[in-house]
Amino acid sequence: MRRKVLIEVLIKTGNVVAAMTVGLIIGGLIMQAYGYDALHAYYSLLRHAIGNPLTDPYPLTSTLSLATPLIFTGLAFAVSVRSGLFNIGVENAVYLGALGVVLASGFLKADTPLVLVIGSLMGLSLSILFALVAASLKVFRGVHEVITTIMLNWVAYWLVEYVRVNVFPDLRDPSKTIPVPPSARIPLLVAGTELSVSIIIAIIASLTTYFVLWYTVFGYELRATGINLIAAKYAGIKTSRFMIYSFLLSAVLGGLAGVCEVAGRPPHYSITTGISNLVGLGFDGIAVSLIGLNHPIAVIFASILIGALNSGVRGMQIEARVPFELVRLIQGVIVVSLAMPGVLSTFRKYLSIRRGRMEVVS
Amino acid sequence: MVIVIAVLLVVAAVAIYTFLPTAPTTTPTTPTTPQLNKICIVYDIGGRGDLSFNDMAYLGGDRAARDFNLVLTELQSRSESDYLPNLRTLSRSGECVIIVGVGFLLTDAIAQVADEYPNQLFAIIDGYVDKPNVLSVLFKEHEGSAVVGALAAMIAGYYNKTTVGVVLGMEIPVLYKFEAGYYWGIRYGQEIFKEKTGREINVKILFTYTGAFNDPARGKTATEAMLGEGAIVVYNVAGATGLGIFEAVAEAGAREGRTMGPPFGIGVDADQDYIKPGFIIASMMKRVDVGVYTATKKALNYLIHKNETKFGGILELGIAEGGIAMSRVEDLETFLELGIQAGTIKPQDKETILNAVTSMRNSIPSWIWEEAYKLQETLKTNKSLEVMGIKFSDIEAMIPFTADTIANLRSSLGVG
Repeated sequence: MRRKVLIEVLIKTGNVVAAMTVGLIIGGLIMQAYGYDALHAYYSLLRHAIGNPLTDPYPLTSTLSLATPLIFTGLAFAVSVRSGLFNIGVENAVYLGALGVVLASGFLKADTPLVLVIGSLMGLSLSILFALVAASLKVFRGVHEVITTIMLNWVAYWLVEYVRVNVFPDLRDPSKTIPVPPSARIPLLVAGTELSVSIIIAIIASLTTYFVLWYTVFGYELRATGINLIAAKYAGIKTSRFMIYSFLLSAVLGGLAGVCEVAGRPPHYSITTGISNLVGLGFDGIAVSLIGLNHPIAVIFASILIGALNSGVRGMQIEARVPFELVRLIQGVIVVSLAMPGVLSTFRKYLSIRRGRMEVVS
Repeated sequence: MVIVIAVLLVVAAVAIYTFLPTAPTTTPTTPTTPQLNKICIVYDIGGRGDLSFNDMAYLGGDRAARDFNLVLTELQSRSESDYLPNLRTLSRSGECVIIVGVGFLLTDAIAQVADEYPNQLFAIIDGYVDKPNVLSVLFKEHEGSAVVGALAAMIAGYYNKTTVGVVLGMEIPVLYKFEAGYYWGIRYGQEIFKEKTGREINVKILFTYTGAFNDPARGKTATEAMLGEGAIVVYNVAGATGLGIFEAVAEAGAREGRTMGPPFGIGVDADQDYIKPGFIIASMMKRVDVGVYTATKKALNYLIHKNETKFGGILELGIAEGGIAMSRVEDLETFLELGIQAGTIKPQDKETILNAVTSMRNSIPSWIWEEAYKLQETLKTNKSLEVMGIKFSDIEAMIPFTADTIANLRSSLGVG
């Protein structure tokens, strides 16, 4: 049994490595075609993503810091996929988690760690509230979650913008909300870098999620709902209830991403105009989750991989002088290749569920 | 099983890492002592390709690199979370004579990194950081905006139209200066128009914040809405978002079978008159290139030539300093190069574009142009011009604007 698991993991890891190699080769060919030195570019990517952690930890901390929010959003999306949902609402959970902390900073007007506690509770409540809207529509009215969550994303977006402009703007600089007070900020793990304690929270979150999903009855039933809805129902699992649970779990995980970003990332510690410091984190979580094959532990490594890419592209610009647009293109190619095994397996699973359902119905 | 994945990934990474540096001879060895020979430019999330603000910064950096024999290194930011690591990475390299942060959004990050690296020189465009190693480059956008505002009002009067607009990017205080100057200029232009023609006009002013500097589609939608309300001139204060404004006005003109406006757009930062020739009446040039160039020169004087003892402070560029001006046909030559380089225009089209712009300008009575340029000359020295009880110096006194003070000014100038 153990052997079988080991072989499966080896094959899956092999897939990721193969996909990455394919992505790197395609990216390299594109760079060469445009007249840039691909090997030099990849070398500088590595230098700025990892560097030599023994002599200079900065590049690695930068990678880990960029990976942190993605661990949360990747987890959030993985949970929803595990229960058979395609929950795009992770994005609004991020906004609302951050909003909670800003609201608490504004209402309490005090420089105490209490702001973070109350702010997180407010933020998570808000994101749960939004998730409940999508969940109820899904469960009681059968409205597809992709539609509702995409719309709710915009509701949350403009809600946050409203607060930034009208409720708690930073008076010295209206492009931001008021900052989180210093003592309510999540401390840095390494001084002089951007890496904060958030990453530890993220890793604890993913270990917890792994434990809950694989070692509890709750997790078993949630996954059963996702693997085959009809079989789960037949086995007596209250599938609607587990869909709601899944929405809530995603909302909490996504919300935590927002909390940790706004309370843990220097230098702003606030929400900036157009929510530009948070936009896209939820969507990036989809890619991370697919690369990590929707597995809570693998999501950590997938996030670090994407974090390394995001950090390393700096080197491609500075040292290999590859223009930003091309850098982004290469990054896209690599991410798409990385996600391919996940996309294929999710797609295959989806098809088999569909087929299973058809057979049961007919 | 978790551990296995981890180990494999680490092994793979290490394998690639140790293998790579030895393999290619093309990989240059990093010099042990960093050479101080770079101009480093960090862009905010707006980024290159806007044919205005950011591209102008490049233009200035490029010119300075050639004149002072330096290497230009550009670094664009993917998101807000890149600002700090981008600046830190460049500061740590010790190779940058100066690190120029292009755009207000980089202010906080520059302030922090300037503290961490007190020997590194920085410049921030459009932001203010009070540190001895940071030069804050500010522009008097309100001056130029007043000039194009007056032009817009007179053109509206000339075509018997009653509405003009402005499409803005993200809501940051810098843009309030554009707004304030533009609104004041429009009201002032009404006065000139009345004086010259004896006809009283009362222009309705529309404004929209699109929330982005890099989204032409949003700029286009906002402009189409304004044109629908009868706007004849729309001012671009939105970076690359503004490219959508020009598309919208050109399409509206083309629908009526015209090869030149009305309606017109007004360009910003760069001389953008060539982007849709015939449909961009003029541009409010904010010479970010002059700012970057001057900052680099100051850094070299301070750092290398030692003939300046102080670096930090405010460098404020207005009409009088050559940092702000309404475009003339003669300015176009320089900026056509930018478009040719970006691939948006072909070198052989240069002549056609110049002709189109010239004939567009000739379609407006020359007294309107003369009055607009006269206002520009006057504002160099005389700020006591007054309209609706507001002197131009009153506008200057309101800087820096907050959301509240700009809202007050909007209502006292009858906007919205």
